[in-house]
Amino acid sequence: MEPVLQVRGLHAAYRRTKVLDHVTFDVMPGTLTAIIGPNGAGKSTLLKTMLDLHPRLGGEVRFFGTAYRNAKLKVGYVPQRGSVDWDFPTDALDVVLMGLYGRIGWFRRPGRRHRELALEALDKMGMADFAKRQISELSGGQQQRVFLARALVQDADLYLLDEPLAGVDAATERAIMEMLKTLRAAGKTVMVVHHDLQTVEDYFDHVLMLNRTVIAHGPTTEIFTQDTIARTYGGWLRRKERVTG
Amino acid sequence: MFKQRISKSTGRAFALLAAMLMLAACGSGAGGGAEGGAGSAGADGSGADGAIRVVTTIAQIAEPISVIGGGRVQVTSLMGPGVDPHLYQASQSDIRKLGSADIIFCNGLHLEANMLRAFEEIGKSRPVLAVGEAIAEDRLLTDETGAVDPHVWFDIDLWKEALGAAVEELKKLSPDDAEFFEANKRDYFAKMDELKEEAVRKMASVPEKRRVLVTAHDAFGYFGRMLGLEVVGLQGLSTEDEIGLSDIERTIGLLVERRVPAVFVESSINPKSIEAVIEGAKERGLNVRLGGELFSDAMGGAGTEEGTYLGMFRHNVDTIYEALTGEE
Amino acid sequence: MMGLSHNALWVLASMLMLGTAAGLAGCFAYWKRQSLMSDALAHAALPGVVIGFAILGFKSLPVMLLGAAASALLGAWAVTAIRAHNRVKEDTAMGIILSVFFGLGIMLLTMVNRMPGGGQSGLDGFIFGQAAAMVRQDMRTMTAVAAVVLLVVLISFKEWKLYLFDPAFARGIGLSGRLMEAAYLTLLVVIIVIGIQAVGVILMAALLIIPAVSARYWTNAFGTMLALSALFGGGAGVAGTYVSTLGDGWPTGPFIVIAAAGIFLLSLVFGTRKGLFVKAMQRRAQMRRLKPQAVRRDPLAEGEALP
Repeated sequence: MEPVLQVRGLHAAYRRTKVLDHVTFDVMPGTLTAIIGPNGAGKSTLLKTMLDLHPRLGGEVRFFGTAYRNAKLKVGYVPQRGSVDWDFPTDALDVVLMGLYGRIGWFRRPGRRHRELALEALDKMGMADFAKRQISELSGGQQQRVFLARALVQDADLYLLDEPLAGVDAATERAIMEMLKTLRAAGKTVMVVHHDLQTVEDYFDHVLMLNRTVIAHGPTTEIFTQDTIARTYGGWLRRKERVTG
Repeated sequence: MFKQRISKSTGRAFALLAAMLMLAACGSGAGGGAEGGAGSAGADGSGADGAIRVVTTIAQIAEPISVIGGGRVQVTSLMGPGVDPHLYQASQSDIRKLGSADIIFCNGLHLEANMLRAFEEIGKSRPVLAVGEAIAEDRLLTDETGAVDPHVWFDIDLWKEALGAAVEELKKLSPDDAEFFEANKRDYFAKMDELKEEAVRKMASVPEKRRVLVTAHDAFGYFGRMLGLEVVGLQGLSTEDEIGLSDIERTIGLLVERRVPAVFVESSINPKSIEAVIEGAKERGLNVRLGGELFSDAMGGAGTEEGTYLGMFRHNVDTIYEALTGEE
Repeated sequence: MMGLSHNALWVLASMLMLGTAAGLAGCFAYWKRQSLMSDALAHAALPGVVIGFAILGFKSLPVMLLGAAASALLGAWAVTAIRAHNRVKEDTAMGIILSVFFGLGIMLLTMVNRMPGGGQSGLDGFIFGQAAAMVRQDMRTMTAVAAVVLLVVLISFKEWKLYLFDPAFARGIGLSGRLMEAAYLTLLVVIIVIGIQAVGVILMAALLIIPAVSARYWTNAFGTMLALSALFGGGAGVAGTYVSTLGDGWPTGPFIVIAAAGIFLLSLVFGTRKGLFVKAMQRRAQMRRLKPQAVRRDPLAEGEALP
């Protein structure tokens, strides 16, 4: 089996600080991987750098054996919920439709078929009733589901999600994890930047432990140990109280 | 109507103060004599190296005086071509020039509004004469607010009086040359009379209805009076406030009503406003031309015909004449 | 009085077109949270205008407009440069550029006043505006600009929606952020450069900001907001121009801004979404629904704490 994602020696910085240092790993198809690490460890930056959303200082990234720009249709990205202004005047259906713009093409209007696909995706996330609701009126969990629906509608093979479970209610968390597991069952690959150490073992079959560089990567049962956790978080867990948010 | 062309912010208060100081510094009323000076003329041995050192503000004084005084005077003018005397402020080198002059001539009547301090200072040690103020008051033009129009050089008779007063001062400074000055003065004045005749004749041949001088500048009051031209200001087009549609429309109305063939604007007016006026007039069937540049506050470049008083005057007359008698 | 002169009609048409175009572009600036950028760009255009005159020695409109565009773009670049290398916030950077460039422009203006060729006259018009002096050519130019902006908006409507809402995701699916940014900036600069001839540097921002903000109070759909913004901008242009014809010496530009402000006030109070009036009505309706419970309480026991 070929890895769907290969990262070699990735370097990135944020302002003057080195945030990613010699990051190297492979991701095999059909895995559901958690990316964990302390704040500032570079988790979000890793996703953004891989997707050319953040400048890369060195290294190589291959999606399905080729560069990202050739594989865009196969990769679905769900950014952090806070990266967007939810006051924007649009409804949930419209947001999900955005996932199809790549397929609709420039200068064309979305057609009925596209709208149906979008509605289906919303339905899969339990949001069909909210299709016409203004996104500013949605709760955090609902917004996250819309984001996920938008990713689903892209029908990608590899999904990259940035903190999808942050600040959502229990029901939404369940729904999201259900969906991710369904995707895995269908042969898709999923990587999730995750913040909650407690749920890693329950949700994810693989884990990538990151603190500027890869501390450990592999099946959860094998590598998610006290030792690796300690090495990843260092003195961070002790200092956790001082870190805001 | 006479726009005080001081910079936006300093405004009217300064103008009032200026007027009072100016009258004090430049002497008052008829007759020559520098009251603000240290006694009468003859401060330094002015006849020493021969030439009397004369410093004037505007070239309209300097050039004729240099002709009349001939080799017996050495004339410098502080303001050159293109300078606005209403706004001009004396520089350090100007102060030095004034300080080393034997006699100083200014126009007075509030023309050199920003030089009052300088004159006040220099008047303490040097004779200063405001030639414009040598003219009888009842012959001067005033506007509705009572302000005096200072552009007296545009009336040839009035200017003869002003220059005459200056020449009297020169005679006082160098009595030996009095006859010389007098003879030159007579010659020069004869030329001025000739010019006046020529100008009056030309203007008289313009059809009466067309004898309108439409200009943004307020310098031509005396000019118009002398030549039988009605001077109409482009009200509102040259203010510092933003122009309104009513200003433009009123100007167009005025032009159309009189079938004025030309307007005279120099670069002091917003070209966009004039463009709007001309296009608007065209829509109403009147082709208004830009009549060419007139010399308003200053004269032409040194060494050119328009750099002389007579030449400048003639240029204005000819330009206006051609524009008003041209085809519509 | 109803009969308007040709000049008035030219001004009316010009301001209608300019207002429409500004309303549309202003909407984009609004959602990029860069409303202040319009103001910064407009002010930054001033030194370019003055330099355009100073270089030639006479007033040539194309050169001055080119100078304005170059100067405005330089300002835009400076804002991004400042932000890239410092911890300065975006609105601070814009404020800095706005004042520095504008100050430079004023300084150049006083220097240029000593030059022959008329100095200040005609250049002031770029600061405060000279909308009343619009002629047929201006009408044509502004119509063309409005048409182009409208075309761009209609053709790539969904692309703009995506770019403004989620630029990261947009990049992810292949919509070049650079292209959109360049298009946005170009539209803005063109409108500003054409517009400052009419309303001047100082008031240009009002046309770009106010209609968009006003539209927000009436709708929750992006497309509708664009349409309303264009309508409000054009409407302010027409209304302001008309009012300025009624008085003696009334300047057109400021009245347009006042008209726009009037529209904003109306929207603020009466806007069907988020307007103050509507919100008050909604609150009343909510109170009425709760009222049956309140009636059962003892009206004399107002100070009682809830159980």
